[in-house]
Amino acid sequence: MPALDTPEIETKDKADLDSVWNVVVHNDPVNLMSYVAMVFRRVFGFPREKAERHMMEVHKNGRSIVWSGCREEAELYVQQLHSHLLLATLEKAPRQ
Amino acid sequence: MKIGISILEDGSVLFEGIDPLLHQMLSEIRSAAELDDPRVEARFYQSPTTDPESEDLREDWKAFVQPDLHSAFASSREVVEADLRRSSSDKNGHRTLLIPRNHIDHWLGALNQARLALVEYHGFSEAEMGRQPENLESPRDYALLQLGIYGLIQEWLVSLLD
Repeated sequence: MPALDTPEIETKDKADLDSVWNVVVHNDPVNLMSYVAMVFRRVFGFPREKAERHMMEVHKNGRSIVWSGCREEAELYVQQLHSHLLLATLEKAPRQ
Repeated sequence: MKIGISILEDGSVLFEGIDPLLHQMLSEIRSAAELDDPRVEARFYQSPTTDPESEDLREDWKAFVQPDLHSAFASSREVVEADLRRSSSDKNGHRTLLIPRNHIDHWLGALNQARLALVEYHGFSEAEMGRQPENLESPRDYALLQLGIYGLIQEWLVSLLD
């Protein structure tokens, strides 16, 4: 009888599961402001005003936390932002 | 140069009277976006985190996310190139280009890729990006003109989707 392959099991630390993760968008001088706001509206479903507020925060402060929550969802959002070529990272939020 | 732009009932966009220089520049979207340079590669395929403890995430990203991004980016460039191939020419060499409604996102994506790649490849500073190109024989000045034209079209397409 052939040996069964041992399935790979991905484990995540409990600390990771409990943590809050931030999706951070960073400024770059190439992406158009109107394009960045449009991407925020599409990816996060933000109303225009909120999308423009985050876009301006990125522009003025160099970064904006656009979403916070569980890691898996944050990864999906970062992936979508990368598909629009926005500079985006995932950061563990500091514990309160 | 006067270009006629019409938005058709189905949301497609028709550009008429594109002169040969602009058409050439549009035809170069793909080659600009495919500039072979490690800085371009790094800009297109970013790390998802700067956290030194998240090496597993970086490895997963390379293995599973980046191949999908690679395909999506290539697909947009191919759609744009196919639309340009279908453009027709009049006796003066002016062209008519139709962008179907469902291709507009691909155009936005490809234009963005081209602009980001040109900036990385030529190492343009923010100040230089605002400079007027003077000598189109110079590759840097030609790239600046490309940046400006691609940005204008991108801006216009964003406003159309708004």
